[in-house]
Amino acid sequence: MNAAIAGLGMTELGKVYGRSPRRLAADAVRLAAADAGLDLADLDGLIVSHGLGGSPGIELAETLGLRDLRLLTKMDSFGATAGAMVSYAAMSVLSGAATTVACVFADAPLQPQQSSGSAYQRDAREWYGFGGMTAALGLRSVNAYYALAAQRHMARYGTTSEQLGAIAVGTRQWAARNPLAQMREPITLADHQASRWVAEPLHLLDCCLVSNGAIAVIVTGADRAASLARPPVHLWGWGQGHPGHPRERGSGFGLTTGAAVSGPIAMKMAGVTVDDVDVCQLYDCYTYTVLVSLEDYGFCAKGEGGAFAASGALAPGGSLPTNTGGGQLSGYYMWGMTPLSEAVIQARGDGGERQAPANDVLLVSGNGGILDHHSTLILSPHPKGA
Amino acid sequence: MPLEIGVLRRDGRTDPFFDGAAAGRLAVRHCAACDRWLAPDAACCPGCGIEETGWADASGAGTLVTWTTVHGRPAADGTVPPPALLALVELAEGPWLYTRLTGVDAPREGLPLTAVFEHPGEGEAYLLFRPA
Ligand SMILES: [Zn+2]
Repeated sequence: MNAAIAGLGMTELGKVYGRSPRRLAADAVRLAAADAGLDLADLDGLIVSHGLGGSPGIELAETLGLRDLRLLTKMDSFGATAGAMVSYAAMSVLSGAATTVACVFADAPLQPQQSSGSAYQRDAREWYGFGGMTAALGLRSVNAYYALAAQRHMARYGTTSEQLGAIAVGTRQWAARNPLAQMREPITLADHQASRWVAEPLHLLDCCLVSNGAIAVIVTGADRAASLARPPVHLWGWGQGHPGHPRERGSGFGLTTGAAVSGPIAMKMAGVTVDDVDVCQLYDCYTYTVLVSLEDYGFCAKGEGGAFAASGALAPGGSLPTNTGGGQLSGYYMWGMTPLSEAVIQARGDGGERQAPANDVLLVSGNGGILDHHSTLILSPHPKGA
Repeated sequence: MPLEIGVLRRDGRTDPFFDGAAAGRLAVRHCAACDRWLAPDAACCPGCGIEETGWADASGAGTLVTWTTVHGRPAADGTVPPPALLALVELAEGPWLYTRLTGVDAPREGLPLTAVFEHPGEGEAYLLFRPA
């Protein structure tokens, strides 16, 4: 037996106000079940993941009125959680522990009348302890930590801001073709270069959006999925990598990520190599994470991610369609559910104007923490081993 | 001073570090059992797992690993806070620290640095690094 994704549920995404993460999560699960042609009562597993705002947790089962579940848990490895949830759901289905598992992420960091940049930033007059000292000195948001990583990659390999910009521009080209994307106005490399500095070498257009909303998928056995309402998206392989870069001499921080571990595990399980991958959905909290993930997966040699991106390979018409919905840079920021949801859409052939020319093998990556956690999924519209 | 810092207070587990900072010494964690140097904020020794490692004074010498100039968010009136040059620094003893650089015009990987302490009128001293 194999496992497959049978349902996808997406709430409105972006500046969606007035609904708590718990409400949003419940809505996404209902939508995913309806998409699959299932009743909520058909679910016997629920896995929950939330953003930095906290909530929902396993009380979501009560919100949804779910009864007699065989699997109920909350998972957290930041941006790598979506892939981890789906792989855990798949393993539960394969083992017989559960038959039909909903995996959901929800977050609502945006408040009306508040800049999106402030949602994840700390500001204070007084600071406490070591964490307070680094924040006081200026390390007050994730932007600064990723800028340190990107700068190290630049210094070591000659990666340039223009190469990062090529990723931003190509991703926006995809977003222009996605009605669900938050940012659809075309941008040029000059726009990228002229956008304000956030933390050098990262411009504003190197950074992801902030979004409210929720996304859920339903994982079940491949045979069962085939009898449901929508075409199954088969789970061929999965893997995780948590490098836990030690903050000491010899650390590969900024140079390599957990994709170098999770990618080969997932691809071996799936029986594919990078040459077989038709579409990539890479976790793009920053343009830099796309670039370094491409290297770590082996789509190009270490240090050549910049040149690979600048060649136009990732953009519409390129050899490796990547982040075809606009990713987190231009589409919507639902942590690991952003790449996963777009992979499901592409695997089903539902991409419309943005449908990639081939979709037999899709790679989905999740990245969490400050490059601390990584997950990889290999998906296909075809049954595994067929 | 670029980018408003605010007032820094000690909490329950930082006294040895801030006592050292007040005296111009860089106190970091050191596990005697493993003879392993750790960052001052290390929660435990990855060699043996003990949480209450000892403290020892580092030399204050280090090299630049990587850096970023952080720009504050523009305020509603359009004013932009002054930028700050932040960095990961590798101490001569091996641990890495997140810190701010002062007096560095042309950052580069491996730039030799030395720890300095800023003593504000209120609150604890800040650890910065300047060119050696
Ligand atoms: Zn030890």
